[in-house]
Amino acid sequence: MNIFTGLINGMISGATPILLAALGGTFTFYAGIFNIAMEGMMLAGAFFAVLGSYYFNSWLMGILCAILGALLMALIFILFAVTLKTDEFVTGIALNLFALGATTYLMRQIFNVKGAFSNPGIVPIPRIHIPLLAKVPFLGEILSGQNLIVYLTIVVVFLSAFIIFKTRFGLRLRAAGYNAPSLDSSGVPSASIRTWSLIICGILCGLAGAFLSLGYVTLFSENMSAGRGWISLAAVILVNGNPWGIALISLLFGFTDGLGLLLQQYMPSQFTSMVPYIATLIALYFYSIQARKRKA
Amino acid sequence: MQRKLISGISGILIALLIGAVIMLFQGYEPLQTYGALFNFSLFGLFPLATTLRNSVPLILTGLSASVAFASGPINLGQPGQLLMGALFATVGGLYLDLPPWLLIPVLLLLSMLGGALWSGVAAMLRKWFNMDEFITTLMLNMIADFFTYWAISYPFFDRSAYSPMTPQINLNGWLPIWGEFNSNVLVMILAFVVIYFVFNRLTAGYEWRITGQNSLFARLGGIKIDKNYVTVMLVTGALAGLAGGLVVMAGPHRFLKGLGANYAWDGVMIAVVANSGLWATLLYGLFFSAMQTGSLGMELITAVPREFIQVLQAVTVLVVVAGRGYLDILFDKTIARRKARERTV
Repeated sequence: MNIFTGLINGMISGATPILLAALGGTFTFYAGIFNIAMEGMMLAGAFFAVLGSYYFNSWLMGILCAILGALLMALIFILFAVTLKTDEFVTGIALNLFALGATTYLMRQIFNVKGAFSNPGIVPIPRIHIPLLAKVPFLGEILSGQNLIVYLTIVVVFLSAFIIFKTRFGLRLRAAGYNAPSLDSSGVPSASIRTWSLIICGILCGLAGAFLSLGYVTLFSENMSAGRGWISLAAVILVNGNPWGIALISLLFGFTDGLGLLLQQYMPSQFTSMVPYIATLIALYFYSIQARKRKA
Repeated sequence: MQRKLISGISGILIALLIGAVIMLFQGYEPLQTYGALFNFSLFGLFPLATTLRNSVPLILTGLSASVAFASGPINLGQPGQLLMGALFATVGGLYLDLPPWLLIPVLLLLSMLGGALWSGVAAMLRKWFNMDEFITTLMLNMIADFFTYWAISYPFFDRSAYSPMTPQINLNGWLPIWGEFNSNVLVMILAFVVIYFVFNRLTAGYEWRITGQNSLFARLGGIKIDKNYVTVMLVTGALAGLAGGLVVMAGPHRFLKGLGANYAWDGVMIAVVANSGLWATLLYGLFFSAMQTGSLGMELITAVPREFIQVLQAVTVLVVVAGRGYLDILFDKTIARRKARERTV
């Protein structure tokens, strides 16, 4: 039983950053932006989360700074891809590398360390113990005592689905991706819808980053997003942006993450670390098989 | 050509200006910093030789990305292909015992084989299952990263070492060094010439280029797109693998953890900023290498951390690419205006 709850908890904490970033990505997906900058936004979020938490001695400021940091990346993306109409792919690649360079540079500049920064002064985001639920046998260990961001993420899933499919903004968002000229001619500038979608993406990636550096672990290390942004991009593409599908896929990836940790007893950790990426490839395989069936 | 030159140079100048502003903001001396940066990378025999040597992996991965992007496939797998190439060359160098004139070419071929094998996986996934190479190559990068890490931690681990690394390869597999100049530059130039010739003078290269520009037109013209796709993936993988092999054979002569550094991603950036042009890839590769080489001296003289260069590189890419589009519009406008004026006269 212990292994089982451990696996589920590992799945949840593995899925959370991917899910948040993928939900951000789904907004830009619907707005018709080829956004591959989630990786960079998440990394910036993770760095600024540690920065804020360390300097203000408060995890709340950490989350705020993470959001601001990721928003900064989103603003650069907006400046180049939306305003100056630079190629989105190019902007995304440059932004990811910019985030990698900038966080490494700033870590050295501000904390005077290389590789990783950990300090007892960094306040992690607390786990929330729900009084009544915690007493429920077995389920209590899963439903209660998760990180605050985990609960927030569940809310974000519902909210995203609601915003995208049930509100006027969501309709315009989908229109911006589906047929931008007709949205423009109806009097709603598609550029501003795109801008908003990127801002939302920045906020969610900031949260994802904050979870990585203040929830999953309590430190910042160079390139700590480690391809999670790419996995979240794969998740978005796999389910054509549907938030519910993304939640499911992210849990699947999270599961492989937890599974990898479990398998570490039986094989070298390098192989278990590969598991999420191999799972992504397998998921892509099933996606393409289905896509082919749909066509036929 | 002139346009490209103008947009490139003005872009670089603007990027350096932005870098200077950031430095001023942090209380550094921009002029002194840039002075040190280029002093330690361009002026003098040793700095120049070092810049040349360091440019090899950048230019080769850059060429790999340029050829891929210009021909259609979005091969972003250079990091993984580089690592696999390096691993293949290392393993060959550990177990083969041949005279230098034979071992060096064999190791170079092995490294190309390693890279091509890894890009071949992505190519096959695309060909058989129609899986987008854009994501599969990225995932394969991570897998290659962990796989090579495992390989140097267990099967090929140097027992006398404290951190994961292989023993040194056979002395006969070391690339010769003449004075300050490392012969890896010659291999790079050879690879560049071959790729340039194939890309611009052979039918195959013509087909790749046409497919990259307009795959529908290419297909209607009778070009076998699927076959070309696989070829381009294999060739670009081999280029990235070669970069990895050269890193091992010219530098530490063994596979250490973190060997690939950021070479391959820098190469992708170089291809992007060069707009997939081969000459431009070479020039930007040299420029990026100069910045990276000089950064050590810069850190020594002015205390600006070396990582600042990574930021500057990304800024350069963004500014040059954004500026390119903008300048094109500007040029077209002036030409149109001039024509309009001529007509009224």
